[in-house]
Amino acid sequence: MADDLILDVQDVKKAYDGLEVLKGISFGLRKGDTKVLIGPSGSGKSTLLRCINHLTVPDAGRIYLNGHEVLDDNIDAMRARMGFVFQDFNLFSHLSVLDNVRICQIKVNGATKEAATQRAKRELERVGLGDKADAYPAELSGGQQQRVSIARALAMDPDVLLFDEPTSALDPELTGEVVRVMQQLAAEGMTMVVVTHEMSFARQAADEIIFMENGHIVEQGTPDAMFTDSVHERTRAFLNVIAEHG
Amino acid sequence: MQEFISFGIQWLPELLKGVPITLSLWIIAITLGFFLGLALCWARVYGNRLFYWISTVYVELFRGTPMLVQMFFIYLGLPQVGIVFDAFTAAVIAITLNSAAYQAEYFRGSVLSVPKGQIVAARACGMTQWQAIRHIMLPQALRRVIPQWSNEAIIELKFTSIAYTIGVVEITAIAYDVGSRTLDFFMIFLWAGLIYLALTSTVASLLGWLERRTYVPGVTSI
Amino acid sequence: MDIYDVLLRDFPFLLKGLGVAIVLLAALLAIGFLLGMAICLITLYGPKTRLVQWPLVVYERVFRGVPIIIMLFIFFYGLSGIADIPAFTAAILAMGLRSAAYQSQIFRSAFQSVPAGQMMAARAMGMSKVKAIRHIIFPQAARHAIGPWTNEFSSEIKETSLAYVIGVVELTRQAHYIITSTQGNVLTVFAVVALLYFILNRAGNSLLYAFERKLAVPGFEK
Ligand SMILES: Nc1ncnc2c1ncn2[C@@H]1O[C@H](COP(=O)(O)OP(=O)(O)O)[C@@H](O)[C@H]1O
Ligand SMILES: [Mg+2]
Repeated sequence: MADDLILDVQDVKKAYDGLEVLKGISFGLRKGDTKVLIGPSGSGKSTLLRCINHLTVPDAGRIYLNGHEVLDDNIDAMRARMGFVFQDFNLFSHLSVLDNVRICQIKVNGATKEAATQRAKRELERVGLGDKADAYPAELSGGQQQRVSIARALAMDPDVLLFDEPTSALDPELTGEVVRVMQQLAAEGMTMVVVTHEMSFARQAADEIIFMENGHIVEQGTPDAMFTDSVHERTRAFLNVIAEHG
Repeated sequence: MQEFISFGIQWLPELLKGVPITLSLWIIAITLGFFLGLALCWARVYGNRLFYWISTVYVELFRGTPMLVQMFFIYLGLPQVGIVFDAFTAAVIAITLNSAAYQAEYFRGSVLSVPKGQIVAARACGMTQWQAIRHIMLPQALRRVIPQWSNEAIIELKFTSIAYTIGVVEITAIAYDVGSRTLDFFMIFLWAGLIYLALTSTVASLLGWLERRTYVPGVTSI
Repeated sequence: MDIYDVLLRDFPFLLKGLGVAIVLLAALLAIGFLLGMAICLITLYGPKTRLVQWPLVVYERVFRGVPIIIMLFIFFYGLSGIADIPAFTAAILAMGLRSAAYQSQIFRSAFQSVPAGQMMAARAMGMSKVKAIRHIIFPQAARHAIGPWTNEFSSEIKETSLAYVIGVVELTRQAHYIITSTQGNVLTVFAVVALLYFILNRAGNSLLYAFERKLAVPGFEK
């Protein structure tokens, strides 16, 4: 294990009723890295992300965050250090935007209300929603909800952010605002793992692109390498399909 | 336990004599309540202001007061103004009137939940208002209302026991009578409870079957 | 004395009966709430073993399938065999335990209507299961539950009248006492009693609606 890795995923395996969804996945992120995970539907990308914070418990393999192994015993503390952004936002529907961003700071990290409020307001500004603090999730567009959920994750001051197709549930005209926030975070040096089909984001922001299929990592490399001369035919075919439809 | 069973063997036949009375009381009342409920629902949804008003007051009054008081009112109160019913009839009337109020509310909710476009489409293909209600709206509304209606029907089945307070000789009254003769009220009411449990469970499965039988994708869910 | 003088003279007794009904109502709802919530949490989040889940299923079936009058008799005569327990206590127990069976179901469907993603997001942020239930799931479930709970409240008000059958001197029994002393002026007495129940029901419902509105947030309105 290299000590300068923020997130270190080692040989993670997962099967559902005998169906092997992850067949031994390893990769690592240094501080400030942005890795984009791509691959066809059903290739195990969501399962991998969810294994990292034990929303799905892996069958085998190890995961280290900042040198500490992620275990069932310390899982709540570990999750507090990893932000997770869901495809369908999952904002807490009974709480205002401000409270959504405050609640886990207070209840999990033990922040004071004042400190949590300040931090929440700052993160809301950062995603461009400073004026929506008093709104409720039901009053926001999908793009705004997703930006709140990013602010909610950021407010915990996480070591790494995990994004699971953050723009897939959005109308096409709303993806831009979310992608811009993610680009800005990448530029500011946030450490992120992003599952996405937004190739413009991958091209601009990724340090490395990882192509997954059938529970394996087929190929990984810099955006330039992957987009211009990916070695594997499957990767090229997939990127072509994405380019046509995305 | 053995005492409980031998007690049951001795007195169960007596208790079971109450079952036909309980069931006929229930079936007559919820059937009449069904039609009165439909009428009240119609008055509230489609009626003019007078009908709307009458129906609303009726529903609120009957849902706002206990069945026991309603039954006493009819059986003990009305004779004072010269209207006399035997106990069974009084019980049927009370349960009917009470149930109709609840059924009307459930019908109304389900009628309102049928999308407006259904009636519009029916009228657009040439149906009269009545035909549209009869052939398009009602079949959907009645399907949707089955779960709530089932609950209501079972509540009324249990409420038939209230008729014992005015002297209808149904299961509860017989149980009480056996209790006074044997002085073992506890045992006999346990047995009565078991009979009611069997009745309500049977009715619940029958109505569940009806719900599955009438299932149409998109209109109802299972 | 004409009926109005009697009513005026005896009105304090009716109010006393109403007071007894209210205490009974409050007690049974409290028992039903605590026990019903416990049952709900165990069925949803407790061990999924048969040994734990089966008794709860049977409990709910039995208490929902047997008329309250029968339950009142069973508790009244059953408990009096064990200790010298007043009818009022037997009524609180029988009705409270039964209300628990209804309330647990109200709570369960309220909890179940909170989308699974809410729990997942709370856990992903580092909340423990208990914290997630307390801060995220419960507040949402409460908003789903309050409407059905208002209905349960209404039914229980009316069913307190049935404690009459085991001799609890609540409103309906007070009415009976008065009737005996008015030589048959039954209609007016029962009308007044019905009105008292109606007002109590309305007042309770208005309070609960006000509470519901206070809790309302966008996305959770009716
Ligand atoms: N909870 C589950 N139970 C059973 N199978 C699952 C579950 N979650 C995912 N799968 C299966 O695992 C495979 C990978 O799914 P997923 O990780 O969601 O892929 P992706 O996110 O790349 O589209 C799919 O075949 C899916 O059906
Ligand atoms: Mg996925």
